[in-house]
Formats: sequence, C-alpha cells, structure tokens
Amino acid sequence: MNTAVVQAVLGGAFTHQRGRLALSVLAIALGVALGYAVALINAAAVGEFAGGMRTLSGVADLEVRGPRGGFDEALYATLARDPDVAVASPVVEVDARIAGRDDALVVYGVDAFRAAAVTPALVGAADTALDLLRPGAVFLSPAAAAWLGAGPGGTLTVQSGVRDVVLAIAGYAGGDAGRRFAVMDIAAAQDAFARGGSLSRVDLRLRPGSDAALARERIARTLPPGVVVAAPRDNAATTERMSRAYRVNLNVLALVALFTGGLLVFSTQALSVVRRRAQFALLRTLGLARRRLVALLVAEGALVGAAGSVVGLAAGYGLAYAVLRVFGADLGAGFFRGAAPQIAFDAWSALVFAALGVAVAMTGSFAPAREAARAAPAAALKAGDEQQAFARLRSPLPGLVLLAAGAAATRLPPVGGLPLAGYGAIALMLIGTLLLLPRIAALVLARVPAPRAFAPALALDQLRGAPGQASVSLATIVASVSLMVSMAIMVASFRQSLDDWLAALLPADVYVRAGPAGDSAYFDQRDQQALAAVPGVARVAFLRAQALVLDPALPRVTLLARDLPGDDPEQRLPLVGETLPRRAGDPPPVWVSEAMVDLHGMHPGARIELPLAGRTWPFVVAGIWRDYARQQGALVVERATYVALTGDRSATDAAVWLAPGVTPAAFRAALDARFPEAARAALSTPGEIRALSLAVFDRTFAVTYGLLAAAIVIGLVGLSSSFGALVLARRREFGVLRHLGMTRRQVGAMLATEGAAISAIGLATGLTLGFVMSLVLIHVVNRQSFHWSMALSVPWGSLAALAAALLVLAMATTVASARQAMGGGVIRAVRDDW
Amino acid sequence: MDRRIFLTMPWLLAAGRVRADAAYARVERGAALVFPRDHGSHPDFRTEWWYVTGWARDADGADFGVQVTFFRNRPGIAEASASRFAPKTLLFAHAAVADPRAGRLRHDQRAARAGFGIAEAAEATTDVRVDDWSLRLAGDTYVARLAARDFAFDLAFGAREPPLLQGEGGVSRKGPREAEASYYYSRPQLALSGTVTLDGRARRVTGVAWLDHEWSSEYVPPEAQGWDWTGLNFDDGSALMAFRMRARDGGDLWAGGALRDAAGNVRALGRNDVRFAPLRQWRSPRTGFVYPVAFRVDAGPVSVELTPLMDDQELDARGSVGIVYWEGAVRALAAGRPVGRGYLELTGYGGPIRL
Amino acid sequence: MIRLDRVAKSFPGPRPRTVLDRVCLDVARGELVAILGESGSGKSTLLNVIAGLETPDAGTVVVAGADLAVLDDDALTAFRRTHVGFVFQAFHVLPYLTVAQNVALPLRLAGCDERTAAARVSAMLAAVGLAERAAGMPRELSGGELQRIAIARALVHRPQVVLADEPTGNLDPASAQGVIALLRSTLQAEGATGVLVTHSRTAAASADRVLVLTVAGLAPFEGRLS
Repeated sequence: MNTAVVQAVLGGAFTHQRGRLALSVLAIALGVALGYAVALINAAAVGEFAGGMRTLSGVADLEVRGPRGGFDEALYATLARDPDVAVASPVVEVDARIAGRDDALVVYGVDAFRAAAVTPALVGAADTALDLLRPGAVFLSPAAAAWLGAGPGGTLTVQSGVRDVVLAIAGYAGGDAGRRFAVMDIAAAQDAFARGGSLSRVDLRLRPGSDAALARERIARTLPPGVVVAAPRDNAATTERMSRAYRVNLNVLALVALFTGGLLVFSTQALSVVRRRAQFALLRTLGLARRRLVALLVAEGALVGAAGSVVGLAAGYGLAYAVLRVFGADLGAGFFRGAAPQIAFDAWSALVFAALGVAVAMTGSFAPAREAARAAPAAALKAGDEQQAFARLRSPLPGLVLLAAGAAATRLPPVGGLPLAGYGAIALMLIGTLLLLPRIAALVLARVPAPRAFAPALALDQLRGAPGQASVSLATIVASVSLMVSMAIMVASFRQSLDDWLAALLPADVYVRAGPAGDSAYFDQRDQQALAAVPGVARVAFLRAQALVLDPALPRVTLLARDLPGDDPEQRLPLVGETLPRRAGDPPPVWVSEAMVDLHGMHPGARIELPLAGRTWPFVVAGIWRDYARQQGALVVERATYVALTGDRSATDAAVWLAPGVTPAAFRAALDARFPEAARAALSTPGEIRALSLAVFDRTFAVTYGLLAAAIVIGLVGLSSSFGALVLARRREFGVLRHLGMTRRQVGAMLATEGAAISAIGLATGLTLGFVMSLVLIHVVNRQSFHWSMALSVPWGSLAALAAALLVLAMATTVASARQAMGGGVIRAVRDDW
Repeated sequence: MDRRIFLTMPWLLAAGRVRADAAYARVERGAALVFPRDHGSHPDFRTEWWYVTGWARDADGADFGVQVTFFRNRPGIAEASASRFAPKTLLFAHAAVADPRAGRLRHDQRAARAGFGIAEAAEATTDVRVDDWSLRLAGDTYVARLAARDFAFDLAFGAREPPLLQGEGGVSRKGPREAEASYYYSRPQLALSGTVTLDGRARRVTGVAWLDHEWSSEYVPPEAQGWDWTGLNFDDGSALMAFRMRARDGGDLWAGGALRDAAGNVRALGRNDVRFAPLRQWRSPRTGFVYPVAFRVDAGPVSVELTPLMDDQELDARGSVGIVYWEGAVRALAAGRPVGRGYLELTGYGGPIRL
Repeated sequence: MIRLDRVAKSFPGPRPRTVLDRVCLDVARGELVAILGESGSGKSTLLNVIAGLETPDAGTVVVAGADLAVLDDDALTAFRRTHVGFVFQAFHVLPYLTVAQNVALPLRLAGCDERTAAARVSAMLAAVGLAERAAGMPRELSGGELQRIAIARALVHRPQVVLADEPTGNLDPASAQGVIALLRSTLQAEGATGVLVTHSRTAAASADRVLVLTVAGLAPFEGRLS
C-alpha cells in the first residue's frame, strides 16, 4: 500500500491522542499480561507437577494404590509373583510434618533394589551404597534441600505421632526434578512413621510382551477393596484435573481483562475515527476504496494490539516470575504443593496471547472502521453529518435471543469437568445486554419526567432523540460494572459462606491438631487419654482423617471419622438440604460433601460401600454437608463406627471444650505441663482458624480484586473516550447552541446531565446484569468447578458505596472529557466555509 | 576363598566401613561341617555364596562357559527393625554365559532384600532364590533356573562325590591373620545337563561343573591388591582348586588350594605349594586393562597351562556396581594336551580392590 | 441599530492574519444589509463580532443600544438570546429534535412559558409555510425546508437583529431564491434588522443596501447584482 495513503489515513491518529492510545495499548497489555502470566504459571506448575509425577513414577507401567493410610503389605508378595509383573516396587508414602515448621514434606520409603528398576529417581545418589538401606538415612531432592536449607551431612527432623524423628541427610535423590521430596528405606519409613505392615503403593513394571490393559484388568480383580490399579499417567491426569477448574477460572479472568481492553480500543478508535471523519471522507472522494480504508483502520488497531501484546508479554513474564517467587504456582490455593516450578519462556502460548491481543484490538477497531468507511463521502464532507455516526436503533431481536440463549446455557452440565456453559451463559448475557442497550436506554429515558431547567431538558431530548448515540459509552460502563459486580457478589458470597461454614464447623473452644501439616502426626490412644486428662478440659472430641480411593480415575477422597454427639450427630455438621431419618436395620450413616454427590453420585438414601481396612462395609448416605476444604470430596462417619470396623484408634485432631473460666492460654500451659509431647501439636482457637482461613481466602482472591480494579479503570477510560467521541462529534451542535444564546455553563450542564444519565443507566444496567451474572457464577460456575454450593450474600453496603463512587467518577469523567472535547472555540466549529 | 562377584556388589564394600550393630558369628577352627545343614545358608555370618561354574557342550559340539552365583550378605543394619522389609539379609544373584562365537560374555544380575518369599535363602539345605532365579539342592542334584536379559538356564548339576572340604576340615585361611578365614567346601566334577537358551534358541547341553559354597564374617587382607583363583575338573576325575592373594607390591600375600584325585584322596595345598605364572596378556579393548588370561599353575604335583575359552571374558560392572574383573572358562593343558576344564578368576587388574 | 466603529480583529498564530482592519458599519433599524466578499475576506468574523461571539481587538461595537465591549460572556450570551437570531449556511437544525422543538429552542432558552411558546412556534411555522411539518423530524426535510425552519428559529423570539451567514450556500438556485424571499419578508413582518453575509450577488440583490468587504474595509458595492 502506498505510504502516502497510509500516512494520510493514519496520520493524526498517533499524534493527536497519545494519551488515549497509550491507555489502549496498556489495556490490551493488561489482558495479554494476565493471560500470559496465568499460562506461564500454569505451564510451570502443571509441567513441573506432571514432570515430577513422571520422574516419580519412572518407567512404571501400572501403579497399585489404596487409602492414604496404606494397605496390607502382603499384597506386595502377591503382585511380585504375578506372571505379568517383571518388577514390583513397594512404596510407603508419608506426608511428614517437618519439626518446627507448619509444613510437610513427602517422604517416600522405597526398596532401593526394586525402585532402581522402576523409579530410579527415588533411589538416592549415595556415596556409600549401604546408606540407601540405613534406617536413619534420608535423601533429599535438590528442591527439597533448597527449600529446607539443608544438605548432605545435615539432619532432617520430622514428626511422627507427637514425637520427633531425626534423620541424617545422606545425599540427594531425584536428579534435577523440581519436586520437593525425601527418600529413605522402606523398612525405616515403616518403623519411623508407624506404618508397619502397610504400603501406600506398589509400582509395577510388566514383563516385555505383557498386555498392560489385560494385566491391569486381571490384577484389578484380585485387589482387596479400596485398592486400585491404574496407569501412572492417569494419576497425573487426576491431579491435573483437580486444579484445572481453578486454572480455567484464572484464564477466564484474563480473557475478561482482554475483553475490556478490546472495549477500550473500540471506544478510543471510535473517537479517533470521528475526529478524522472529514479526512477519511476526503480520501474516499479522492479514490481510496472503502475496503482499503477499513483495512487501514483495522491495521491501525492491529498496531495498537501488537504494541499492547509486546508490552503485555514482557509484563506477563515478569508477573509470572514475581508470582511464582512470592506466592508459588497456585497463588496460594494449595493445588501444587511440593512442586518448585521454574518459569520458562513459552513461545507457543506467547504467540497465542499476542495473537489474541492483536485480534481483540483489531475487532475493537473494526466497527468504527466500517462506520467510517460506510459514511457517504459527500455527506461526511459537509458539515453537520457527524450526528449520524452512532444514531441507528437496531432490532432488539438478536439481543433478546442472546439473553434467552444465556439463560438456557445455565441449565447445561459441565463439559469435561469445566463450567464452559456457565462462562458461555455469562458471555451471552453480557453481549445480549450490550446489544439491547439503546433499547434499554430509550425505555428508561421515556419514563424520566422532563426537567424544568432548560439544559437538562435539552440533554434529555438529545438522549431520547438519539438513544443509539450513547451506546458505546453505555457499553463500556455496563461491561465493566457488570463484570465487577458479579465478581464482587460472588466473592462476597463465597467469603460469607466460608465464614458461616467455619462457625458451624468449629463449635469447640480450642482445636488441637497432632501436626499442622502432613499426615505423619497423630495421637495414639495414650496421647488421647493424656489430652483428655489435662486439667481444665471439659470434653474432647477426636477426629481421624483418612483418605480413600473410591474410583481409580478420581483423586482420593477424605474420610473423616468424628466423635459426634450420640443423640444428634448432625448438629455438628454444616448440612445442606434434608437429612434422612435413621431407621432400624440401616447400615451406619455416612454424611457426604457436595463433591461426593457431583463426582461420585452419592445421593441421600443411597446404600454405598466403603473400603476400610481392606474390606468393604455398607453405609447409608444420611445427608449432604458443605465442605470448602476438600474439593475432591469428603465423607464423615461416626468415629465409634470407624473404630469398630477398622480397629484404628489413632486420631489426627481434637476439639476441646474447656471448663468454665479456663482460657485457651491456660489450657496451653496445662497441656505443656501434663503432656509435654503435645508441644509439637498445633493449638488454635476458632478465631485464629477463622482469621487464617479468611486470610488465605483473601490472598487467593487477590488476583480477582486486582482485576476488578483494572476493570473499573478500563471502564472509566473507555467511558471517557467514548463520551469524548460523542462530544467531539457534536461540536457544531454546541456551537449553534452557543449562538442561540446558551451560556457555556448551560452547555456544560447539558453535558453533565447527559453524562449522569448515561452513567446512571449504565450503572443500573450493569448492577442488574452483574447481579444476574453473579447468580450464574455462584450456582453454575462455582458449583461445576469446585463442587460446592454457597449462599448468595450481596454486599449491599459496599455495592451501594461503589455505585455511588462510580456514578460520581463517571460524571466527572464525562464532564472532563466533554470540556476537553469542547476546548478551542466550539463557536468557530459552526463556521461553514471550511 | 573371599573371591568374586560379590565384591562387585557395593553393599559389601560399604559394609567394611560400617560399624555393624550386629554381632557376626566367627569362623572357628575345628568345628565340623554337617550336611545337609551346611548346604543351607548361615545368616549369622556376614557373607555367604553358592558359586557354580561349568563347561557346557551342545548337540553341535559347541562349548559354552556358564556361571551362576547366589550371594547372601548381612550388612548388619536395621537389625532391630520390626518391619518385614528390614534389610537384615540381602541376596544377590549373578549369571553369565561365555559363547566363543559371540566373542564376549553375556551376563545379568538380580538383587533383593530377603523376605516375602520373593528372595530367600533357606537354612536347611541349598535353596536360594531371588525373584525367579533359583538354585536348589534336591538329593544329590543342584538345579539352577534363571531367565536373564538375553539368555536363560535350566540346568541340573549332579554330584557323584561328597563335598571337598577346603583348608583344614572346611576352614580356609585367606591371609596372614588367623581371623582371615572362611568356611569353604567345593563340589567338583558335577555332571552338568539341561538347557541353555541363547538368542531365543534352547540348546540341550551336557558338561562338567564346579560348585563352591563359602561363608565367613571376615574379609580379605587389607594389603591385598586382588587375587587369582582357579577350579579345574580334570578329565581323569581328579580336581584342583588353587588361589593366590596378590599383595599391592606385586608379590604373593597368601596362597592355597586342594587337590583331589580320582579315588577321592584329598591333599591340602599350603601357601608355598601354589604358584601362578602368567603366560600371555590380553588388553581389554573396552577398559584398556591388561589381564594375564593364560597361566602356568603349579600346585603340588600338578603343573598345567590354563588357556581361556576366549580372551574376552571381562565383566565390566562399573556402570552399576563400580568394578571390572575377568572371570572365564579355561582349558587345562599338560604338555600341550587338554587334560581338564575349569574357571579362572582374575581381580584387581584395574586397580586395587578397595575394601 | 448596529454600529461598528473602526473595528479591528486579527487571529494570532505562526502567521498572524488581520481579518478586519478598522471596519466601520452602520445599519439602521429594519434595514437589511447584504455584505459580499471573497472567501476568507472576514465576512463570518464580522458577523461573529456583531453577535458578540468574537471580541474585537480594537474599535467599538454597539448593537441594539448595547456596547458589547462592556459585556462579559454571560451578558453577551443573554444579549444574543434576546436580541439576535442566526441563520447558518448548513442550517444546523438539531437532528434529534422535531421541527417544532427546533424552532422553539430560543423560546425555551428565554424561559418562555409553554403555551405562549407553542402559539408563537405555530405562527412562525405558518409564516415559513411549514405548519404541517411541525411534528416531523429534520431528516425528513429538504435543504430548502431546513433553511426555512432555521429562519423560523432565528425570528421566533422576536430578535432585533438577525444575522444570516451564507444562508443559500447549500441550496439549489430555486430554493435559494425562495429562502431569500422568505428571509426578507419575515424580517419585514417582524420588524427586525438584518445582516446577510453572502458571496451570491443574486442573494444580495434583495437587500436594502449592498456592501463589499475587502482588505481595505467595507465599501458600497458598485457592480451589477444579478
């Protein structure tokens, strides 16, 4: 294309409005940066996790695993002798609490002779080979060593029960895998962590020529209840799936940012095109083809997009780096524990997000470009034509159809475990509403009584006369406000529900946890008696947490065996919906979390079988409870039942009711005096747990809050641009009004009224739409992503304050942009002989 | 004889530096060996092995060298553990086949901690297994079954004579110090028959083999560089075991052996009765180490030349266990005429055996 | 009614341009004066000065007895609102208001009550011959009709002075003829004084007096009109 033509079309765009252009670039950059950062963090985390899984599962063809607490080691002998099995490698896996830290490290107890042939990464690199078998020797992965700040020659102290076990660090294991773990001899692990007689998993390498699928099927039939056989990659997929909804949600947030960035490009381009309208008309008259003009203007958008993408990619990389450094791969959500991911420039996702950024900017500039090109050149050359630019009122049908489709989409089930239909519903509702905006504005304005003062009355006339004109301004407000409000309501509902849930879950005065992290800490029966005998204790209820495999394709579910009040076991559970009355002859009751309903199809009244201690036992689902702690699902049974079935009397947690007048501090002192081993146990009050939980919650949603702020800023800038475009287009009109005797102040008042009306309509529409969208987020997206429900809780106060602040900001924005657009005498704009 | 492959097992090397929490049994002079009990394992001792070497000939008249070893080690750790996985007893197995047409050794190994019926060494008689590799004594016949990476054995070794007790009634000195000794007996002139599978083809084979069973708690003298050992089945029915410990300075540190004639009369050979004189050197193209693969051995009245079935019978186990040695089938020649077949083991030629 | 005494106006910039150089003009009550001039001769600036939309650099401007130099922006606006009506080349009829609403604008600005305003608007629309289009939208009208609406709007609040800037510039000759005739007749009917800036001699021909604006100032036009 001829450079002169390019210059003629684009000239001015980049000189006259550097500020707005920079903002457009920044808006695109924000979306691209967030998207790319999320992609990088995910790639790092998932890649590291999957890579770690690969390292840890080595060349195993199959993996036999069971409950977290393990299964009978005799199974190992059976598996090792299986005709299809070349090597069977037994593993004891313990999430060991590190003494003095509220953190845990996965310790693998392996038989080095076996692991060497299946999972070489789990064999320590020993100076002295016998160290691999020595009871007190442990090998750290380099990531674990770095994390602990300890290395060969040092020691690692972990907690078992309520006592400490000191291990000598004999070397490294796992090569350069980024995962944190430790390896020791399997016998030593069984001894140290009281796992005698049980294994967590057996990795199998099949004989050459064995059919893995057939072998798996055959082996599966021989396994005791609760123990499953799966291919290792299935486990990686299971873990990946668990975190996918969370990652998709982050990606959607990034797309929202991109979308609002696109709106900003749209409004900026609209303004810029209106400014250059006559210039384009002239070029068209001089023979520039319509298609070329559109192409040039879209190319202009692409340039903005490209600049934004470049800035965004760089910023995204930096952001990802910072986030990984400060929060870890899951932004503190806890999905990728044990992984120490490294960030790596990912060309493919960089390309995708750069392309997205450019595409969004191009789309944003397409509508104004077409508008500019469509205008008849002759008419545009004559003065007084600008008002036509946005003045069409379209049929409401497409908007209504989209809204209906959005409503219908909320009924659809998740796709591959992802709430895609829910997101689709939100997008459809948003776009449908944006399409309907002129209609909505007209409807509202028709009901507003005519003000007495001239300027506001004229403003109203203008808005009523050309309701389509303000639709861009309205769109920017509605989009940003609705997205913000929906998020705010969802987050507030979640937070409130979490708070209520914690209150229901924590009725006691003090909670004592054998170890604040990991599964290596527990109270044995003696410890339990000692705890109950501490002076000042009125009553103690114990809890035993256990993890079971119910479905080889799904992660382990948590089984909580709790001491529940005998007369009314359900008073301590945050139940959702009806519960089943207990009938004589029924098997023992189990209360399941919502995720169990969604993932395992356990409905109240259902008879289910649970694998406990190598046998299956019948239970009846007595009710559903809400659980925000275990996304993969959890079951509650009475501890008495659990002990009767398994003989396992150990407990991981204790809820302590104190005698009147005893403070938690006094209890701690008494505990230390009477039961010194409990010094390793974590003691917390419900208030502390609540504060900590909410702090974690807020940190997890920090990204959301940041995006909300960005959406608001982008919305306001978009409003400023689009309103500026409107004012600019109507400069001659203001000039005429000044001629006719309107004072400067009256013109200002008119514009302020228009701005206020647009802002108010936009806010009201945005609030309404946001409310509806929040319902979709809460009842569809959240439920499908995380399998938990929450009660709607609208933060009326803060929403009202926010709305008021936004109204003021929006009005100020419109007045400021109007003043800017009117700068230089509007009077001269009326001059016709140009 | 504290020889052999078990030294390739680093567990042992390590064990030397370990302060064992176990009290090992000691080799006592004058304690008589009792069979079949002493065919079985002796878990109170630190180390023990059953070592079979032999010549096999297939229907085509082709000769192979075959070797099967089971080794037991008590590292002396985790003795107090209650776990069934406790590594109180470790079992290793090693097998090799020398095929002159392939020109190199094929070998493979297994290792496991004893337990769960997966790896066990019975005390009643010879019955030792690691996974699906096993060596068992039934009646007077040893049966070895194993499937390695690129070969398999299903071999029977029939004993026609009682065990040949080495040293002083089965107590064999290894070095200048009294404690450097082991319980040691051999089963020469075993009738070998069965199947050797090579390249997927099972061959019926027959031949003659030698079994050593040795256990002790002490180790080779610290000043040893390595050793040379041979066990020969003569065609006339007699058998010879001879070894020497080489000192680091190149001289002989210790030597010994035993000669049994066809009638079953045994003559013990002292440190001055045995001499090894290298005749020919072979340089390994892989490691560059030089081995004296042909010897003149003078042992009491016997004087033979040993020539290898093939030169390259070097075992390079540095990648897995960190040691290189030569262990191979040899022919015994007297006055240029073949008079017997056996095995020769040469260690310490790639640097001193570190203990 | 209008008196300009040695009015000067120049526009600053990299190349300052003197548009009006000591221009003097006297227009009597009820008179219609046409000012001819080339493009860029300062005709529109002259009109803006008379309307109080531009402040002259020098000289005095007295319109309807008011010395514009002593009025501030608000007073000037109020002055325009009551005493001045405008007719533009591009009509500048607001597209979002009906014909009647457009005509009523000056009355609404003046705070006139609705009934009086409605009556006055009907009268003016009748006077310009567009009574039946009162409820119509501007986009339904032709150029000539739009300009007649503009004339109605310029006179609806009974201004003493009507300023018309190239009112026929966007019209075909036939419409132009009609519009000039209408302007002339309504001015007379309302007793308003008019200044018509144009470069069309045909349009100027209907004026009481024709002047020509050049760099030298205003002078009586000596040539032939149509």
